Amino acid sequence: MMFKESQIMKIHYTTGLAALFVVAVHIIVRLMTPSFSLSLLYENVINNYHNIPYSILLESILILIAIHGFNGLRIILLELRQNKPWEDGITIFTIAATISIIAYGTRTILVANWLG
Amino acid sequence: MKISNEWVNNRENREGIKGWLNPSRYGWERISYWFQRLTGVFLLVYFIGHVYETSSLLRGENAWNAMLEITQTPGGHIFLILVIGTSTFHSTNGIRLIFTHGGKGLGNPGRPDYPYDAISLNYRQRSGIWVALILAAIAMLYGSAVLFSGK
Repeated sequence: MMFKESQIMKIHYTTGLAALFVVAVHIIVRLMTPSFSLSLLYENVINNYHNIPYSILLESILILIAIHGFNGLRIILLELRQNKPWEDGITIFTIAATISIIAYGTRTILVANWLG
Repeated sequence: MKISNEWVNNRENREGIKGWLNPSRYGWERISYWFQRLTGVFLLVYFIGHVYETSSLLRGENAWNAMLEITQTPGGHIFLILVIGTSTFHSTNGIRLIFTHGGKGLGNPGRPDYPYDAISLNYRQRSGIWVALILAAIAMLYGSAVLFSGK
C-alpha cells in the first residue's frame, strides 16, 4: 500500500508526539528508583522486563522511535537529492532498517522477559 | 504542462549537503531547521546504540556491567548530557514545527514591503526557537546534576 507524503507526515508527527509521552514515562520510572545508578543494576533491569506493562511501554517506545527516526532520516536524504532510483532506494532502505531494529529490540524484550 | 521523466530524473539538488549545512545566508528559522536535522540524526544514532547496548543484558551480568562501564565515565556522562539536550531541543522545536505546518502562529499574510522581513518568522516563531534552546539548556543542567552527583 502506498502512502501520500501528507499521510506520512501525519504519521511522523503522531509517532513523534506519542514517543515524547512514552519516553517521558520511561525516564520518570528510571528517576523514581532511589538513585539513578541503582536503577541500572542488572537485577533491577531484568525485574523491569518481568513487569508486563513496562515491557509493553518499552516495545511501544521501540516501535514509535524506529518509525519516527528512520522516516526522519528518509526525509533528510530525500531533501539532499531527488530522482526516482534514489527515492525508491532510500524508501526501501528505511523500511528495512525500521523492521530490523524493531525485530532486534523486540527479541531483547522477549528474551529478557523470560530470563530468571 | 507534462514534465518528462528524463527531466525529473536529472533534477538534482546541486548544493547537496553543503547547502544543508550552510546556515549563514538565512536567519534563526534556517538555524532551527539545521539543528532539527542534526539533532534528529544524532538521536537516531544514539537510539540504535541504545538498543544494541541494552541487548547485552541477554549475555549475562558481566556483559551488562562491561557495557555499563562505558557510560559510567566522564566522557559517557557528557555524551548522555548531549543526548538529553538534543532530545529536548528536537521535541520542543518539533512541536513548534507541527504548529507551523498547521498554519498556527504564522500571522496573517501581508504585502511584501522593503526590507522584506519574513512574515513567517514573527515573534511567536522566534520565541518558540528560544524556548526550545532554553529548555534544552535546563534539561542538560538537570541531567548533569543527576549524572555527576554519583548517586
